[in-house]
Amino acid sequence: MSGAAFRYARAADPAAAVTLGAAPGAAFLAGGTDLLQLWKAGVQAPAQVVDISRLPLATVAAEADGLKLGALARLHDVAAHPDVARDYPLVAEAILASASGQVRHMASVGGNLLQRTRCVYFRGGEGLACNKRAPGSGCGALEGENRQHALFGGSAACVATHASDLAVALVALDAEVEVLSAAGSRRLPLAELYRQPGEAPERDTTLAPGELIAAVQVADAARFAGRSTYLKVRDRASFEFAVVSVAAALVVAGGRIAEARLAAGGVGTVPWRLDAAEAALVGQPVGPDAFAAAGAAATEGAQPLAHNGFKVELLRRAVVRALETVGGQA
Amino acid sequence: MSADLRIEAALKVAGRAVFPAETPATGLLYAALVEAPVASGELRALDPTAARAVPGFVDIVGHAEAEGLKASSNTALIRERTIHFAGQPLALVVAESPGAAEQAARAVRLEIEARPAVTALDQALDQAYAPKLAGRVPAETRRGDAATAIAGAHLVVRGRYETAVNNHHPMEPHAAVCVWEGERPTVHTNTQAVFGTRAAIAHAFQLPADDIRVVARYLGGGFGCKGPLWWPWMFLAMIAARRAGRPVRLELSRAQLFTLVGRRQETVQELALGFGADGRLVGIEHDVLAQTSTHGEYVDATAAVSRWLYACPNVSTTHRLVRTNEPQPIPMRAPGVAPGTFALESALDEAAERLGLDPVELRVRNFADRDQQADKPWSSNGLLECYRVGAERFGWAGRPAPGAARDGRWRLGSGMATACYPVHRQPASARVRISGEGALTVQCGTQDMGSGTYTVLGQMAAAQLGVAMADVTVELGDTWLPEGPYSGGSMVTLSILPAAEAAARQVRAQLAELAVTDEASPLAGLPVEDLEFADGLVRSRSGNAAEPLVDLLRRRAPAGLEAEASATPPEASDVSGMGYGAVFVEVGIDPDLGELRVRRVTAAYAAGRILNPLLAKSQHVGGLIGGIGMALHERTVTDRATGRILGDGFADYLIPVHADMPEFDIALVDEHDPHLPGGVKGIGMLGSAGVQAAIANAVHDAIGRRVRHLPIRIEDLL
Repeated sequence: MSGAAFRYARAADPAAAVTLGAAPGAAFLAGGTDLLQLWKAGVQAPAQVVDISRLPLATVAAEADGLKLGALARLHDVAAHPDVARDYPLVAEAILASASGQVRHMASVGGNLLQRTRCVYFRGGEGLACNKRAPGSGCGALEGENRQHALFGGSAACVATHASDLAVALVALDAEVEVLSAAGSRRLPLAELYRQPGEAPERDTTLAPGELIAAVQVADAARFAGRSTYLKVRDRASFEFAVVSVAAALVVAGGRIAEARLAAGGVGTVPWRLDAAEAALVGQPVGPDAFAAAGAAATEGAQPLAHNGFKVELLRRAVVRALETVGGQA
Repeated sequence: MSADLRIEAALKVAGRAVFPAETPATGLLYAALVEAPVASGELRALDPTAARAVPGFVDIVGHAEAEGLKASSNTALIRERTIHFAGQPLALVVAESPGAAEQAARAVRLEIEARPAVTALDQALDQAYAPKLAGRVPAETRRGDAATAIAGAHLVVRGRYETAVNNHHPMEPHAAVCVWEGERPTVHTNTQAVFGTRAAIAHAFQLPADDIRVVARYLGGGFGCKGPLWWPWMFLAMIAARRAGRPVRLELSRAQLFTLVGRRQETVQELALGFGADGRLVGIEHDVLAQTSTHGEYVDATAAVSRWLYACPNVSTTHRLVRTNEPQPIPMRAPGVAPGTFALESALDEAAERLGLDPVELRVRNFADRDQQADKPWSSNGLLECYRVGAERFGWAGRPAPGAARDGRWRLGSGMATACYPVHRQPASARVRISGEGALTVQCGTQDMGSGTYTVLGQMAAAQLGVAMADVTVELGDTWLPEGPYSGGSMVTLSILPAAEAAARQVRAQLAELAVTDEASPLAGLPVEDLEFADGLVRSRSGNAAEPLVDLLRRRAPAGLEAEASATPPEASDVSGMGYGAVFVEVGIDPDLGELRVRRVTAAYAAGRILNPLLAKSQHVGGLIGGIGMALHERTVTDRATGRILGDGFADYLIPVHADMPEFDIALVDEHDPHLPGGVKGIGMLGSAGVQAAIANAVHDAIGRRVRHLPIRIEDLL
């Protein structure tokens, strides 16, 4: 299958990109690993494709105040960067758990964060009900096949999960995104980039038309480096999205948990920060009791569907396992 | 024979092997199918106005045009306006480019009267019915009195086993390049049956078979789906090519391989095994419920394995079908045997545990020393040797106690199962020719699915005439060549090899006769039985006389020699042929997270004479990987609300990736079969049987849980 015809323009610089991208029906093209799939399947039919792949936004720089990832940095290059591997192993692990080597060489950081859901009703094209793809058509998954769908953040209109591994790690690390538009630039927490479906599941993010992610900024997180992990549970050994994933990072002082970061993938309509589980950890002695409490807290408020109920228990166990992995010796 | 590489390997690696879709054709047009958006209904009208407006549009072909074809099961779906499943093609559009064809196909307006659809097997259980045949054997059999035997058994193991729908997914999707010269069509298509395709075309278009040419030089796999279900869509492309007076190419998308060319049917199997205190089977009841479509009947002989795999005096087997508005099932690699052994071999494992017997020992005790169903001896049977060799290589006897072995977070478990597949054979013809310069050519119309037919024929001919493989050309996959069978049921090699071998022997006999009757030859006057063909020479076995084969040819047969031979299986045989294997698997399971990894597979196979051990092992490994996919990953899902296939691509229909594949240790057990021609049995199916149960049995060994459905997934292991 091939998709519908579109106009193609290569942006000469970021300013041109945001101008071109503001036109109705425009879509940015970076690595193309998601857009091409959507276009071929007829799920997305952009009138205008704005090629940003050659813009100078591919920096990977770890500095004293934190990590800066240009939106066009390739996932492979981020994971392979020695500073990232040393000081932000959570980011590197999440990337290396994603897709395949070939895809990681093409896919960009910005594109990964903005990838669309893997919901089979969304990707299945016309004929299947999906409010995210065709607003008002209904949600086929609610009463249909929903093993892969969300426990958290769903609505009567949509229960599709967000599929990015990198976003889970970055949300755990309180990353921010720098966004360009014709009006200038703004910065917002990555967690605020994503919006839960509510009654408008067609809008995945809070970005306005034409807004372009230029960079991701992670405040210095080297203190977590010795105690962080990205745990991904999936249906085959490689090249598959998470059934459940957990990003975990701790700072331990004097045998007690001074700081805790937990986020989960595969369970939320957006990358899901596990605030209650973090709260259950902070101040507690490192050990099984705290981990069990965090596991239980992680699943509070879960709303399982007909086929995904096992993910509640799996999430609890994955949180405990991830904490055991990073807990180590007090 | 030796472990030669595939003779076409270099062509394929370099991209120079021309597959049917790549056939060059001047003025080629491109086709796209218009698909039904609903799973059940009637097409009332089709409005192509908007399609005609698409730049590059050339023609649209639908029911009105297909009505000109002869009615048959091969043309029903394109002649009749009833919609049986979502995605069913209702017309074919041709255009000057693939993009224009797809765009025009999408622009066709359909007026459909939709009807309620049955989109799952459990929606119509009350309408289940018993077909007469399961594949080529009776659907229902009864030997002795299984119910009574089970009622009085020392131990009864009962279970319900379920297997999911799978799709074949050869790497190469279906394609046809259709060219007409007047009323003579040539179709380049990746079919598993060039002659069957020719016969279907001849019937549908009412043309003499001799006027039709079907060519399939190379195939990128098939696994059962490159057969009759492809024909209706190919016919539409042929009609379009005839109308346009230009060649037309139709190529299916990956998504269309989920709907248009068959599937392995879903099964729900009720199995009861009764055992005596000595561990011998006293009764088997195996009842299968499976899905078929509303327009065609297909049933895998799933329960058939229970009729002959083990010795048992009382066996009852049944098959029932439920019609749903879903795509049509057809055979898929190890048809029937794959789901059937999953049930039977899982139940055997459970019985071994409850009887306190080693699973291998239980199987040995129940070994069938003859085919009890057919009441015939086996042509040969290497199963016991497979158990012995496989167990030894795997280290079965020294394996840890159930649940005892760990490796970090992984709990390890071991399981085993029997693999088997019946020997099938079809008539075949082949031609062997040697040129005046010693170039040897083997010709047979049957296609090579990619499994090595080119190579084994070439090896055989080279050995018969003593020439180097480099001097042998093998030509396959063309109805202009001598007729051979379809590629399926693991029967190509044992069907065509005897014919090709006979033709090669005839050529050799002609050459020998020329040599001994030629005064110019150093071999003159020798008895022909004294001659051998080796190393490019014709030479005496008993003396030193010899001459290069090419010298003899130049002198006595400058125009070359050829012979054609046929081989036909006997109408009735007094033996049963069966290939066997024993599969041993080690899995690791993280029970907290439900993750499963197959860590090790050892499999021993006894399947007659092995022509090329490298190709045989490759077949077995491929089959085992397919079996791992069936066990752990593959599951085609229908949306109950719409009848559409969900996740119709490789992003969602999971197959094993390299990280899911363990190291494979394959043992080829020597087996001399005195009854089958050339001692050859089929091997293609064996790898995909048994391994599913071996994995499920290893799961039980690791964590004490019996999973009785496939695929086994995370939620089954938590």
